[in-house]
Amino acid sequence: MNFDFAPVWENMPTLLEGTGYTLFIALFSAVLSLVGGMAVALTTLYGKKIFSYPLRFFIWLFMGTPLLLQLYLLYFGLGQVGILIPALLTGILGLGIHYMAYNADIFRATIISIEKGQTEAARSLGFGRMQTLWFFIVPQAIYRALPQLGNNMILMLKDTSVLSVIGVTELVLNAQFEIANTFRPFEFYISVAVIYYILNLILETSLNRFEKKLESRR
Amino acid sequence: MKDQPQVSDKKSAPLMLDIINVKKAFGDLEVLKGIDLQVTRGQIVSIIGSSGSGKSTLLRSINHLETIDSGEIWLDGVRVNQPEMKGMEFERHINSVRQNMGMVFQGFNLFPHLSTLDNIRLAPIKLKGMEKHEATDFCMELLAKVGLQDKADVFPSNLSGGQKQRVAIARALAMQPKVMLFDEATSALDPELVEEVNLVMKQLAREQMTMLIVTHEMSFANEVSDHVLFMDQGVVCEQGPPDQLFSNPKEERTKNFLKKHLQQQ
Repeated sequence: MNFDFAPVWENMPTLLEGTGYTLFIALFSAVLSLVGGMAVALTTLYGKKIFSYPLRFFIWLFMGTPLLLQLYLLYFGLGQVGILIPALLTGILGLGIHYMAYNADIFRATIISIEKGQTEAARSLGFGRMQTLWFFIVPQAIYRALPQLGNNMILMLKDTSVLSVIGVTELVLNAQFEIANTFRPFEFYISVAVIYYILNLILETSLNRFEKKLESRR
Repeated sequence: MKDQPQVSDKKSAPLMLDIINVKKAFGDLEVLKGIDLQVTRGQIVSIIGSSGSGKSTLLRSINHLETIDSGEIWLDGVRVNQPEMKGMEFERHINSVRQNMGMVFQGFNLFPHLSTLDNIRLAPIKLKGMEKHEATDFCMELLAKVGLQDKADVFPSNLSGGQKQRVAIARALAMQPKVMLFDEATSALDPELVEEVNLVMKQLAREQMTMLIVTHEMSFANEVSDHVLFMDQGVVCEQGPPDQLFSNPKEERTKNFLKKHLQQQ
């Protein structure tokens, strides 16, 4: 067996470009999934039934079906009926909405876990319902959700690789291009694995540090 | 307090709290069976009674944390419960009324994600539109008053129970309320921490703060109150000045309750 990593080094720019896309997608999907997840959680908990019931159905739908299938439906399915969304945008939306469902579930649980006394203390001072949520309940719910949200973000960073199937030129797809040129699948896939591992290591360390910093506030 | 001349002034002072025939039931259980209570400005009223007597429910009802079934609650001429108001109209009304009442809870309920100073100053900044620097100065004075000026930047998880409750009192005071409601403020504290909270409450009493205190501590109620109510099974069983109620109770139920409690202490 002869391993030769020279082709990997030569094609590093392509891999790095793919890494850039991966990070770009992960970042925007993360923002979408976090902001949207909180919005969904608040609506399902406090919103009118005409809004909360469909949203609960939405959570159930996105948690109950595979991400791969959701991406196919968004990209090829919608394409068939004439709704053409660029692959990159489809990927960000698909991944973001998929994890939005999971994050909404986490936020829902941590919002419920905030003691009733917090609301009573805020209301007794004269804060309104929305102010109480905004200043007291939501921040505490976010702190409590951090460990689980961190796990989800790590899962999501890895799941960006699924976007290769709809032609998003992220890390895996770019590696596959070069494999087709060099016939070195082992070396490329190993290198890609190392890149993912390093990215997640950085993500996890900074999340841990962030959590430690906020520990006294929980 | 009761030996000082202002006691007679308090009798003629204007009504701060007026509670008229308040009734409240949780399902089939009648917790308040028609309570009447008047508190004048600067008066300190303690409510004692065994658990389940309805004293905490009464206090929470005044702050509208419990909705009463019938009766009237007035704070300084403004009706707190407004059965005919609905939705946002009542929401606005109750928010403005609550700004005039300070509530102190048994479980402190400090906001754990905010520093001690932010716990206190957020309400005057957001609700009264106070400037940040002005609120900071004012709230630092309040912290000094409860003896915790060096804890301004500390988070609640790093405070002792007694310190937490003193911060909670300062937080309530920051809205400059017309009346302070204490719901068993020292019941959750270790015995050695009770005194520091009681000292703060006594200081408020000296400053003529109108106070309604639900408590299990008979000696404290005896020392600080102008008037004491003994509640039992949802009614005011007996009331009067503390020396009369504690040393010469008339009702059999009051005698039994006091006997039990004095044995414990």
